[in-house]
Parts: sequence; C-alpha cells; structure tokens
Amino acid sequence: MNVSELLAALPDDEAQAALDSEWARARLREILADLASRPAPAGSLHRLWTLSEISAQIALAYLAWWVRQWFSGAEASKRRLMETNLRAALKLFHRLGYLRGAMTKLGQAAGNLPGVLPQQAAEILDRLHCEAPPMHYPLIREVVRNEFGKRAEEMFGSFEKKAFAAASLGQVHRARLKSGEAVAVKIQYPGIARTIDADFRNLSALLLPLRLDQEWDAVKSHFEEVRRMLNQEVDYVQEAESTRLAGELFRPGDGIVVPRVYAEYSGKRVLTTEYLQGLHLTDYLATNPPQASRNAFGTKMYIAWMRMYCAYMPYADPHPGNYLFMNDGRLGLLDFGCVQRYGPEEREIMRLADRMANDDSSLMPEVIRRVCGVSEGDAEYPEYLKMMKESCDWMMEPVVRPGPFDFGNESHFQRGMDWFVRVNRQRTTRSKPMYVYWNRSVFGIKAMLFRLRAQVDAHEVVRQERPKIKREE
Amino acid sequence: MKALFYERAHIMRITAEAKFETRQRIVSAAIRLFSAVGWHDATTRAIAAKAGIATGTLFNYFPTKEAIAAELIAEAMQRASESFSAKEGEELPLDADLFTLVWSGLSNLREYRKFLGPAAETIFSPLARPSPNSAGDAIRIDHLELVEATVDRHGFRDGLSLVAVQLYWTLYLGVFAFWAADDSPGQEDTLALLDRSLKLFVASLRTDRGDE
Repeated sequence: MNVSELLAALPDDEAQAALDSEWARARLREILADLASRPAPAGSLHRLWTLSEISAQIALAYLAWWVRQWFSGAEASKRRLMETNLRAALKLFHRLGYLRGAMTKLGQAAGNLPGVLPQQAAEILDRLHCEAPPMHYPLIREVVRNEFGKRAEEMFGSFEKKAFAAASLGQVHRARLKSGEAVAVKIQYPGIARTIDADFRNLSALLLPLRLDQEWDAVKSHFEEVRRMLNQEVDYVQEAESTRLAGELFRPGDGIVVPRVYAEYSGKRVLTTEYLQGLHLTDYLATNPPQASRNAFGTKMYIAWMRMYCAYMPYADPHPGNYLFMNDGRLGLLDFGCVQRYGPEEREIMRLADRMANDDSSLMPEVIRRVCGVSEGDAEYPEYLKMMKESCDWMMEPVVRPGPFDFGNESHFQRGMDWFVRVNRQRTTRSKPMYVYWNRSVFGIKAMLFRLRAQVDAHEVVRQERPKIKREE
Repeated sequence: MKALFYERAHIMRITAEAKFETRQRIVSAAIRLFSAVGWHDATTRAIAAKAGIATGTLFNYFPTKEAIAAELIAEAMQRASESFSAKEGEELPLDADLFTLVWSGLSNLREYRKFLGPAAETIFSPLARPSPNSAGDAIRIDHLELVEATVDRHGFRDGLSLVAVQLYWTLYLGVFAFWAADDSPGQEDTLALLDRSLKLFVASLRTDRGDE
C-alpha cells in the first residue's frame, strides 16, 4: 500500500474535518512519506506495509476521529495542549508504522480500546519499547542452539542465513531438512517474549488513574485479553498446536493449504513448518489477475475464515502477509500465532450471537446483555441497541442475499469504518474481551477481500459452513 | 658432554613441567574456592591451602587473586580470538562479526560466570586506556586490537577514535557484567543486550564516518 492509498483510507469527511489544521495534515503526510522512504527493519518496504496495512487503515481512521475530537469546539486556551497531544499521537503513529512486535500490536489494539483516553494511551504506548530488530546469523545460531542444543547447520541439511520474511517479533528463514523437505523456520528475537508481562504490569500501573472511569472494567479486561493474546503469539509451541488444529479443518478438495509443522524442529522460540511457494497479495495483484481468479481466491479466503470461526478458533490476524496465492490456484494460510481459542463461555456467546445474526433477531437484547453487560432498562441501552443493529447489518450485508457479493464495493467497506469510528466516538464499546480480536478479524478479512476486489457468494459459504458449528460441547 | 647436556635438558623439562603443574593446581583450586565461597571471601591464603602449597609459593606464580581470574579470562578470550580468526573467510556484517567474537569469549567462560562478575569489577578498569596495576590490561589491549582490526577489515580505514574505543569498552564491560548475573533462559537477555550494544557501536562508527 502506498502513501496516497493510506491517506485515501481515511474517511473523507471525517478526515477533512479532523485534519483541517494544515500543519497537522502536512505533518501526517511528512510522516507517511518518511515511512515510505526509510529502509524497513526487515529490509523490505513492501513487507513492512503488507504487515501493517490493515491496522494502518484502522489506526488512521481512529486517528482522524481522535484529532477531530481535539479540535472541534476547543477553547483557544486548550489548543496548545491539544496540539502537543497531537504531536505525541503523530509520533506514536510514526513509530507504529515502523516497528513490528508487541509495540505495533499494542498500538493496533489501542484502536479497539477507545475507553482509554487517547492521549494517555499514546503516552503509555510511547514508553514501551518492544521492537525486534533484524537478527544476523550469529545471533540466529545462538537462538537455535538455546532451543535445541545444536547449531542450525547441524540441525538442517541447509539453512539460508538471510531471512526471507519478517515475523511477529522475529524473522523467517528458508531451510531444507536433511531428509530433503523445504521448510520455513521462524525464529524469535531473544528475550522479547518475556518482556510482555513486565510491560503490561507497567501499563496497568500507569493506567491506575483511570480506575474511576466507568469503563475501567471493560478497559482492563480488554488489556488483559491483549496481554493474553500477545503471550500466546510469542509462544511458538501454542502456534504449532493452532497450526495443527487448523490443518485438520481442511481437506485437499478445499484448495486451502495449512503448512505442516515439523514438531521435532520446533520449540518455544523456533517454529519449523513446510515451506509454501506462492505470491503475497501485492505481487499477485501486480500480475493483473482476471476477476474469476480473484473471486476463486476470495471465496477460499472467506471459507477459511468462516471455517475457523465455526471451529471456535477465529483467525484474528487476517492480513496480506498471512495469505499465499499459489500457482496451482490453492490458497496458503500462514501464521497461526494470533488465533483465538474460545473456551466454553465464549463458545456459548458465539453460538448465541450467531443465532441472533442469522436466524432470530429477537435475541438481540440477550446478546447485548451477555456481551456488553447492558440490560434493557439501562440508560445506555438504546445506544447499544443501535450499535448492535448497525454492526449486524454491516456484518450480514454480504450474507443475506444469495449470489456473489462484491467485497470490492467501497461503500460497504467505508460504512464499516464509519461505524467503527462512530462507536468509538460514542464509547459504546463495552464488550466481552473476545471481541477485541474479533473486530480485528472482521475488519481484516473484509479489508483483504476489498483489496482483492473479490466477488464472493458469502451466502452460500455461510450456508455450507454454519452447520459445522458444534452445537453441544 | 653430550650426556650432561641431555641430563640438564631433562632436569629443565621436569622443572618446567612441575611449574606448569603447580600453576594448574593453583588455578584449579582457585576456581573451586571462588565457586564455593564467592569471589570476595576467597583469599589467596585459602587458595594456597586448597592447592596444597605455601602462600608464599602462590605469590611466585600469581601476585593477586585477580591475576588468577585474569588468566582464566585471558585464556578463554585467546581461544575465542583463535576460532574467530579462523572464520575470517565468512562474510558477515560488522556487528555480526563482533557479536561472534564477544559471544564466543563469554561462552568459553560460562562455567565461571558466577564469580567472574564481581571479579571483573576489580580486574578491568572502566577506562579503555592502560591503567597501572590492572590485571586486565593485557586482556583489554589484546581484545581491543582485535576489535580494531575487525573494524578496519570492514572498511573503517581510519581506525578507532579514542571516543569510539571508550564507547566500545564501556559497552563491553556492561555486557560482561550483565552476562555474569543473567539468569534468563539460555542467557537470552545477554544475547539481546550484546546485539543491541554492538548495533549501537557500529551505528556510532557510521555516524562518525558521515554515513547516511
């Protein structure tokens, strides 16, 4: 995604109003231009953007709202303070665009945590330093030795010293097993995983002044969910298990490939999987693929996303770096670190919400009560009811009518973004922690299909996949 | 005449072997004592007793306990330098090269690290310039020469400025002290600290040279 596309991702009216202060808009442009010109940590600008583009869209929309809030109706005496906050926010955004790892993910999650006062969140996030710099080979060798007691050269038949992709808090290398199989070896930067809990402890301490806010409990539980998911993401043993479970969901006829995990070459900080060959989204689009091909890949993406959801393990991080467009028409799914694994309570809520969305809208009050903790008699109920209705309408729009739905339709995507911004502005955001990543998952898959300009018979996919939801545990 | 020559040579060899053997006994006793009672509580008298020699005899070999620990460090770093020099054909970025050199030295010292932390505080001077009576001078000088040669090999032909040498040495000592007390799994925190320290050092060299 280039700079102009990113700017275009800002909701127009909001963005104009928000960035009416010319210097702010100029500064944002400068930052984006600078990001585009700086050498990315992993050595590839393309990779950097593919990693963060969805979050960037969401973050930008959020930023626009945030900025607008500061400037609208502000007294002159407060403007200086607001400008200072804006500078801090732009600095934060600048950093988010450049870093990978927990910082980036925390920043992404901030868009889902509007209960926190933005400037406070920005200041807090600004203090956390979890970036993972690129690793040279001698360091890789030591990480592998720590994990397996052997050097990479001894473990593998061959091992490419240069990484071919960036990963969550690490990087990925091509290698070949001694038995000949081509594999991808994901290696994590040393020590970084153990910083997450410490960072969150600091964060909690810094958030203490917010405890009197009525949204505090929701904010706290959302942060706890982010902490839990980040810890899960950096534990490659868990990722190996999620990959294995996901692999069981697909059959060869689906045309969807989950790479095999080589458990004996994997551990907490090193994950070895089958190497899949294919193009990432931008490279695929550069081949100017026919609509039929886009639709076929889009349908597979939607099936994969829906199937994992029905298996109570939503793919919480659908971004371009995690999909491979293979030459033979199959879709490769990569990176299962950010997969939610629903427990009994979450499964029950998911089934309830699913019935509400598909079969029985009269369940809405019950869903609002269970998910948001807001009952019909409560003062904020009307706002939550409106939010839930709009959410359902947008979510279900591709599904309600049989036949292909054009996910490339800008107005559909834009309406979702507008809804998200509006909900944040109104702070009708109390929800179960599971929805922090659910939002990311929904925006992620729709953003992927939007960029792919795919037409998918979502109605038919849902009809096929929904029965796979296990009704009883 | 010839027989007398061989006899003398034989006696000298025995003497050299005996000296070497005593030296080894002292080092070995010191390691055991440092490990058992800690650096600060291990006295030269106790080391001599553990080695089964008189305290005065110990001083013929090592003037201080710092000198014993310095010998351990010097030996480990010498091995690291040799294996590092043997790998010179391998093309790596400068920070990776220096990482290999430093980590290899620390790895060779791994089993002694618990007492080398406090030992290093008295062995090494924080200043990169030679300091009187520091048991670590020779080690520092050898190490810095190797660092300078490595930096030169990577195209920094003007050598290291005094500031650059001091920066490197400060970072090195910081990593060494951190490593000695690092209980993270596989000492992964030291790996990260060393990596970041060397990136910082190389970045400063580039800035000095006026690189973009």
